[in-house]
Amino acid sequence: MESEIGIRKPAPGSMETLVGTILSTGVAASFLLLSTGFVWHWVAAGNPSFDSPAPRSSIALFILGEVRTDFHKGLDPIRLINLGIIVLLLTPYVRVLLSMAYFLFVLRNLKYATMTAFVCAVLTYSLFLR
Amino acid sequence: MALNPFILLLLSLVAGFVGAMGGMGGGIVLIPALTLFGMDIKHAIALSLVSVIATSSGSASAYVRDRLTNLKLGMFLEMFTMLGALSGAWLTLSIRPGLLFFMLGAVLLGSAALLWARRREEWMPLSSQDGFSRWLELEGSYPDRATGQIIAYKATRACLGGPLMFLAGMVAGLLGIGAGAVKVLIHDLVMGLPPKVSTTTSNLIIGVTALAGTSVYLANGLIEPGPAVPVILGVVLGAFAGTRVLVRLPNRAVRRFFLALLLVLGAEVLLRGFRGT
Repeated sequence: MESEIGIRKPAPGSMETLVGTILSTGVAASFLLLSTGFVWHWVAAGNPSFDSPAPRSSIALFILGEVRTDFHKGLDPIRLINLGIIVLLLTPYVRVLLSMAYFLFVLRNLKYATMTAFVCAVLTYSLFLR
Repeated sequence: MALNPFILLLLSLVAGFVGAMGGMGGGIVLIPALTLFGMDIKHAIALSLVSVIATSSGSASAYVRDRLTNLKLGMFLEMFTMLGALSGAWLTLSIRPGLLFFMLGAVLLGSAALLWARRREEWMPLSSQDGFSRWLELEGSYPDRATGQIIAYKATRACLGGPLMFLAGMVAGLLGIGAGAVKVLIHDLVMGLPPKVSTTTSNLIIGVTALAGTSVYLANGLIEPGPAVPVILGVVLGAFAGTRVLVRLPNRAVRRFFLALLLVLGAEVLLRGFRGT
């Protein structure tokens, strides 16, 4: 693939393509969930403002709680919004996790696999912060 | 104080738009605007940090695909910024709001001074690289669309740049901003990176840095879904529009406008810091 100044674009299986795809997909999915939930709530309640209590838990517990509720009770606008927030929060985490796997299994670069593993470990710890 | 979702959406749209035009993200405009409309500064910081994840991830995805971002550099530096953000966010919870206003004002005015000081500086490639930076494979090249050339570069002083990035992460976690100006300063002055690489790599790092800080704010009940939705949607839409308008405007006009805005916001926030409100 050549751009207008004759520079090769990243190959389909490259790390640049992987990271770029994860980030754009995460942001687009989150934006779609948040905007759908926002409009759905507005139409259903006749008012765009809502009082949903601020979660006071770790990100991991927030995710578990929402996934469990969605599974048992189905979706409603507020749950769709919470799902959008979860997807947004997990986007950089998934990027780091898959980068680590790419460095380890595809590039076989132990140096950077270790560094991304460290980032991943601290981020995992932060997901469980209470 | 609960703000009307339309006001939140409008404020965030403007903040995202103006922030993207200045190349600094929306937080630097959003937090002063939200607090001006009565939101508590700690809630404004927490909301801004969540929106930073969205705007930085969105723009980083394009820069990574354009091969402007140095992935290895980003992954080395985010080890430090992430730890800094965790410490910064914990610090925010324990210090009084007046001090946060004061620090935000100082960062805004510092960014303005930096923008002014570096208005005519040209980047010069480094001819040598220290052993640690070479071991980290911190070099690369990127396509410069303005000149149609491939620009090759090498980063240096990674052993100093890394720990300094802890401070940049701390500013981000503490004040809920991307702290791009601080990161770019370290990339440029300490590590000798070209401005485009430093800006785009800073964008990649910000997502992980903001997530680390957000975890502290969420655990302390500072992120309410109600106001978070219009803020995230507004900042993302505003930033999307801002980046498209930016490419059509002359650099000098954008720089002057953003400089004036940083000065006004910085002085206003600093005054509130002195008043302790």
